[in-house]
Amino acid sequence: MNTALKTTQLSVRFGNKVALNSIDLSIASSGVTALLGANGAGKTTLINCALGLCKPSSGTVRLFSKTPGKIEAKRLIGVMLQDSALPDLLSAREHIQLFSSYYPNPLSLKQLSQRCGLESFVDKRYKTLSGGQKRRIQFALAIIGQPKIVFLDEPTTGLDIDARNLVWNTINELRHTGTAVLLTTHYLEEADSLADHTIVMNNGEIIANDSTDNIRAAASGAVIQCESTLELNIIAALEDVRSVKMRGRKIEISSRNATTSLAELLALDPKLSNLTVSKSSLEDAFKQITDNSKIAGDSA
Amino acid sequence: MNPLINETGAEILKAIRAPEFLLPTLLMPCAFYSLFGVVLSTGNTDATYLLATYGVFAVIGPSIFGFGVGVANERDKGWLQLKQAVPAPAYSYVVAKIITTLLFACLALMPIYLIAGFFGGVELQRQIWFSLFGIHLISAIPFVLIGLSLGLSLNSGAAVAISNIVFLSLSVLGGLWFPVYAFPAIMQTIAKFTPSYHLAELALAVVGAGGEHASLFNLLSILIMSLALLGLAISAWIRQR
Repeated sequence: MNTALKTTQLSVRFGNKVALNSIDLSIASSGVTALLGANGAGKTTLINCALGLCKPSSGTVRLFSKTPGKIEAKRLIGVMLQDSALPDLLSAREHIQLFSSYYPNPLSLKQLSQRCGLESFVDKRYKTLSGGQKRRIQFALAIIGQPKIVFLDEPTTGLDIDARNLVWNTINELRHTGTAVLLTTHYLEEADSLADHTIVMNNGEIIANDSTDNIRAAASGAVIQCESTLELNIIAALEDVRSVKMRGRKIEISSRNATTSLAELLALDPKLSNLTVSKSSLEDAFKQITDNSKIAGDSA
Repeated sequence: MNPLINETGAEILKAIRAPEFLLPTLLMPCAFYSLFGVVLSTGNTDATYLLATYGVFAVIGPSIFGFGVGVANERDKGWLQLKQAVPAPAYSYVVAKIITTLLFACLALMPIYLIAGFFGGVELQRQIWFSLFGIHLISAIPFVLIGLSLGLSLNSGAAVAISNIVFLSLSVLGGLWFPVYAFPAIMQTIAKFTPSYHLAELALAVVGAGGEHASLFNLLSILIMSLALLGLAISAWIRQR
């Protein structure tokens, strides 16, 4: 496997706060990798280290064996930063012209317009565009240099469905051209439909690093809430029940399979009341994965 | 295409598309000079004296605002961060801004020169005009560095306010609006610690209105202040990363 990005014992501290804690990671030079995590989990810091915008406190980062921040490394990457607005008073055409002067083999305005759907607003000033249109220009600038790896920091946050689908399609195209993509997202759904590989971060650490299929399996299932006189340890012993706890007067059950768990619960307690069933949220998935990693850590 | 040419083109476009910021910096010095140097003037000595000092004033405006407000704004919006991640040559951003600043400095100077020559009765030999122009452009150096330090240290809101304060106080204290000799003693002493004062002295020496000090002393003062400001700008650059 060729490696696009490799970190070894990478740590970043801001004062007393540990943003990244001894991260060992390698990202393949093809395919889409999703970096999932809540705000403050360390996703953006990790990306900034790979871009050379943030210096490691200890450990190393290499991009195709090059040091991030050096011009040889910068020529191999494409970037779309989360809070990076482009100058308001320039048009897409002008932004593209400026960026194409940075790269040895830039894509042409025509190629970019087609791939990113810029045709209808290429001469309008950036300030006057919608959120989705702005994101498309940022995306065009990320791929203009025909990069080997593209970093997308929350590429679809705040986009409407059409704009989001367009970004998703373009990311899929990148996969087919053999470009590695590393994207950060809050949305499990986004990782689900795009990524071959998913990394979950929490508190500056990697708590899961696996194929998206395996991560999805770990996070799937449902959360059942109800009022019942059943003992918690009896519920916990049921098949497909991951965990049980009291939340106020209600019992909260995390289940791998809502249908079987519900059937068993109702068989045991026909008077069960105030029942709600909801899909596991990303937060539940994180909790699930964190708990699993703790158990793995304890037993190791 | 060369990144520097493109970067400079982009800077110029951004500036001319924001006339609400550009026009005041271009027109205010010219309007002030017309009023104090020509309309309210008592003779062409005033017009010549104030041509030297308002020329400095005309250049430090675009220098301090272009960098102070421009850089702070682009840093706030994350644009500077993106620039640092892409293979844009590190010098091109700053050099393009300097070229643009000098260009607008010229645009601010031209109407003042024309008004001085045609309406103010200022008569100078051709090489004196060119020397004066040279001194006026050099005025950009310390003020670009001040602007850059402010832009790299402050958010865009604070940068506008502080740039204005620095711009106006250095203009007044340096004797660009009224001659320093008209100041009380304490302000005359303070004036000697401003780069604007020494730049004005140099410009006055060129037009023969006699500075208070030898020009070498003024040049040396500007050099030392510029080096100190360069140090400040570099440390601001390192801290913002």
